[in-house]
Amino acid sequence: MGKEPGRGMEQPTNTSGTAASTEATPVFQLEGVTKRFGGVVAVRDVSFDLLPGEVHALVGENGAGKSTLMKVVDGLYAPDEGTVAVGGEVVEFSSPRDAEAAGIAMIPQELDLFPELSVAENLFVGRKRPRTRWGGLDWDSMRAEARERLAALGVELNVTSAVKHLSTANQQIVAIARALVGEARAVLMDEPTSALTDREARQLFRIISDLTSHGVGVVYISHRLEEIFQISDRITVLRDGRHITTSPASELDAEELVRLMVGRPLNELFTRTTSTPGEVALEVRGLTRAGEFNDVDLVVKRGEIVGLAGLVGAGRTELAQSIFGIRRPESGEVLVDGEAVKIRTPQAAMERGIFYVPEERRSQGLILPFSIKNNITLSILDRISRLGFVPHSERQTADKFAKELSIRGAKITDPVGRLSGGNQQKVVVAKSLAREPSILLLDEPTRGIDVGAKSEIYRLIDTLAKEGKAILLISSELEEVLSMSDRIVVMREGHVSGEFERDGATQERVMTAATGGREWAAPGGNGREEAGDE
Amino acid sequence: MSEVQAPTPVERADADGTSIRRFLIRPEAPALAFLAALLIVFSVSSDKFLNVSNLESILTSVSVLGIIALAVNQVILTGEIDISTGSMLGLCAVGAGAVATSFGGLALPLLAGIAVGALVGAINGLLVTVGRIPSIIVTLGMLYALRGVILLVTGGSWITGIPPETRVLGTGSVLGISFPMIILLILFLVMELVSRHSTWGRNVFAVGGNRRAARFAGLPIDRVRFLAFVLVGVFVGVASVIYMGRAGSVQTNTGTGLELQVVAAVVIGGTSISGGRGSSLAALTGAVLIGVILNGLVLLGVPGIWQQAVLGALILLAVSTDILRRRLLGDKA
Amino acid sequence: MSAATAVFRRLKFSREVVLLGVLIVLMIAMGLLSPLFFTVGNLLNTSRYFVEVGLMALGMTLIIITGGIDLSVGSNLGLVSVAIGFSFAGGLPLPLAILFGLVVGVAAGFFNSVFITFLDLHPLVVTLGTFALFQGMAYGLSNAEAISNFPEWFAYFGQAYVGPIPGQLFIFVVAVAVVWIILSRTRFGRYVYAIGNNEEAARFSGVPVRKVKIALYSGIGLLVAIASVIYTSRVSTARGDTGLGLELDVISAVVLGGASIYGGSGTIGGTVLGVIIIATLRNGLLLAGVPSTWQLFVLGVLLLVAVFLNEFFRRREE
Repeated sequence: MGKEPGRGMEQPTNTSGTAASTEATPVFQLEGVTKRFGGVVAVRDVSFDLLPGEVHALVGENGAGKSTLMKVVDGLYAPDEGTVAVGGEVVEFSSPRDAEAAGIAMIPQELDLFPELSVAENLFVGRKRPRTRWGGLDWDSMRAEARERLAALGVELNVTSAVKHLSTANQQIVAIARALVGEARAVLMDEPTSALTDREARQLFRIISDLTSHGVGVVYISHRLEEIFQISDRITVLRDGRHITTSPASELDAEELVRLMVGRPLNELFTRTTSTPGEVALEVRGLTRAGEFNDVDLVVKRGEIVGLAGLVGAGRTELAQSIFGIRRPESGEVLVDGEAVKIRTPQAAMERGIFYVPEERRSQGLILPFSIKNNITLSILDRISRLGFVPHSERQTADKFAKELSIRGAKITDPVGRLSGGNQQKVVVAKSLAREPSILLLDEPTRGIDVGAKSEIYRLIDTLAKEGKAILLISSELEEVLSMSDRIVVMREGHVSGEFERDGATQERVMTAATGGREWAAPGGNGREEAGDE
Repeated sequence: MSEVQAPTPVERADADGTSIRRFLIRPEAPALAFLAALLIVFSVSSDKFLNVSNLESILTSVSVLGIIALAVNQVILTGEIDISTGSMLGLCAVGAGAVATSFGGLALPLLAGIAVGALVGAINGLLVTVGRIPSIIVTLGMLYALRGVILLVTGGSWITGIPPETRVLGTGSVLGISFPMIILLILFLVMELVSRHSTWGRNVFAVGGNRRAARFAGLPIDRVRFLAFVLVGVFVGVASVIYMGRAGSVQTNTGTGLELQVVAAVVIGGTSISGGRGSSLAALTGAVLIGVILNGLVLLGVPGIWQQAVLGALILLAVSTDILRRRLLGDKA
Repeated sequence: MSAATAVFRRLKFSREVVLLGVLIVLMIAMGLLSPLFFTVGNLLNTSRYFVEVGLMALGMTLIIITGGIDLSVGSNLGLVSVAIGFSFAGGLPLPLAILFGLVVGVAAGFFNSVFITFLDLHPLVVTLGTFALFQGMAYGLSNAEAISNFPEWFAYFGQAYVGPIPGQLFIFVVAVAVVWIILSRTRFGRYVYAIGNNEEAARFSGVPVRKVKIALYSGIGLLVAIASVIYTSRVSTARGDTGLGLELDVISAVVLGGASIYGGSGTIGGTVLGVIIIATLRNGLLLAGVPSTWQLFVLGVLLLVAVFLNEFFRRREE
């Protein structure tokens, strides 16, 4: 582990002349790129370049256009305007294959691996594979090469085991190794550390510094600012699809960076009136599900917002889903209003007044081809139906909640898939309100939505707490947790690693509890970008 | 720094990589275990079961089913399905039979059968890839249409008088081993080699395992699937000549109901119906399992009319053992 | 092409409209081929044959909308037929035998649903197994024999006429109305579409996914049983191989009717049209003296063309 990665590390490469100097030819260069989806402009007139041997961080809020821009580089999207040049020559990629041939490799957020195939084979799918003398595939040399490439990244994996049996971190490393088989000169990493533990993240940084020392350029998308200052040479900020600035990392500090990303002071975003919590509404005692969360104790009172902080993969979503009856805890108990309950299905949870707003909006929260109305009323059909029939008053009910959330952009009978991300999220919230729960589990409720919708949802959460609902707010956005919660519970690797009252909570303390030592700030959030994918 | 819980770089899963676990991970493990159990049960309860000629007759009897299952296995691995093989076998047999009665010989009828099969397979493949129609619909439509073509071509009458030299693939043997069995085993070995040692064979797994990733990896998804459908046609063509050899004539209802047996064989064997996971050994095991069940029931004196029911029950039992496997491996969800 | 699609767009293209067009064209063609076709007697007579497939297609529509499939319906039909025939032959009064048959049909469907929901096996795999199982049980229980000494009144279900109208047509119309109302007006129907479009989101929304599936597969068991009573009555015989191969007719009718085999979409109206088109085709070709050999071919090609057009327009819409 010896040397710590960081800008100190890149210094020698800089002086060696292979890297970041103004004369060096960029690995690739974007000029005035604009990309639209339907009427929505995801990226507007952005220029960006990557020099050999540098780490160029790309930052911005969710929806700022970071992922879209990288997909243009990777050949997944063709730019509507502007050009992509590689090694000084303008190119037109029609697929990631072309990008790969030009030495550009992308490691997307959702790893595109083949879960059933072995580690070794995953490195070679779609590529020329070594052959034996008699013409068959040479598995021995494929395995040897895989082992070698992984060793070069400093890891030792069983290359014959199926990728689905690996941890997320190791799958990530396989994805990186796969990207590098094509002798990449530029590697695009989209939030690579979002699911990694501290130690795994440090391993990744070591790999990155190793890459840059060999002259590979790295574009690094992340919401974790401390990380960004730790490893990058230059930082480009995008906001609402526009290029805001590009400057050396040494000339920026965290505060300035946040201001550039958000474009306004943060404190106006949140609404939180203090209230006095009432009786205990939800209590969890020693809840355990092996490999996901362990011996979790948690209390949420009426009128209280409890923030549940932690890194992605800390077991928060799994915990909430277990309370909601989606997963079955192996031991421990859940008490609602002081009474121990056995909840085995979401229906049973709803009967008890619990509702869970899932983090995966499109796959778990909504039925996209359904109308706004049918989505809002889906969870209350058992309540409003008469003799099993859906009454006409359904429309009024849906209208009421759509108005309350000011859902805009489509008629209530239009498919919810037509709405923007923010309005889709409002439908998910409207659906939960329609159920009139007394305990609300919100899992990343503002992930990937625009600022306007965010502040509306914060105002609503505040109102709900005032009405006496017990709210568990799972969020990876530290600012959100700190600003909204009465109490903050932190989870790390499946267990509760800290609990703070509102007054005693600071970014540093929460992050220390979440990471087990590593400290960083993450005002920009930790969500996925959904820059007008549809 | 406390990093007691941090996973080591080497996966924990490998740490307990016992040979039992390594066996259980294989897709055909439940079917093989089930087959072994059945072999023991039948051997103990009937002394006629465990002898060479009986075992050979089992393999011979499932040769047509097995050969087609080997090819359909590839289609299912790509995430598609082919339920047109029953009618396809009939049509190939009609083609081969017509050539056999007019020209005789073995090569020409065999070529004719393969050509007819490859043509039909290519049509299936084109409709699925270029036409973008779900494969279950394409092959369902083809199941009907081909049966119609058979009746049309033959006018509803049987093809009889297949010359002996054409029948040799079904009736012949070398060193006491029947041709159907030899062909089945050779094709199995060929498919195992193709699966392990050809780019197409590997791409089949990739396309069925994660189509999105396959697209990003630049795999020729349509070509991979198209070839799988053509392969089915070719293998059905070969099987049709064996069938014709064994039956000695071609009836208009040749192959009726076979399509579902083929899919059953593949799935019982352990190839996942949703693609990406499985093996040629799985398809062979599934076909043999069906043969062993049918054979064992006869030897046990189970009345013929009950065989179908027992077969169905055992199919359900076989696929349910997969749940057991998942439990043993500790897979959640 | 673009002009044509523009017209389609203005018509608010719906699959049912296209199917209705196909049916009309088909009927005119049949009328030209055979003067007998357009006689009231013939048209009503045609209906005698599609009721059984039609009943099963109603249940299959709902199952296919949820993204499932049931290949065992034909075998189940045979099993119910045998259950009725042989429990009657064994001394059970016929009304009780019929009741027993209905119970068997529902139980068979429930059996499927147990494997599909509790063991989480793919419906295609499960019903492939029960396809063999039910058929085998029908053979075994009947000892491959047939029963046909039913009392005269049993013929009522499959051979009776009310005026010129075949009796079973009434059963079918009632069944269509009931299933149509269930699918389009009730909570249950909403759940069916929800599961087919996004099963995970449905589960997160508190839709009782398991219960819905159990009800669906058991429900199609009931429809199969009713169809079996009609069939057995119509041919006055209970046999094990009754219903052999009907599952493919049923699935074809549903898919022809515009239901997506991937789940999420489909309507009762479409399915009914699909059933009628297939029946018309078979009857019309028969009357026109076209050898039955052609029918399968035409049916297969029609299915492919219909689905191709379906997919084509679906993509155009997007």
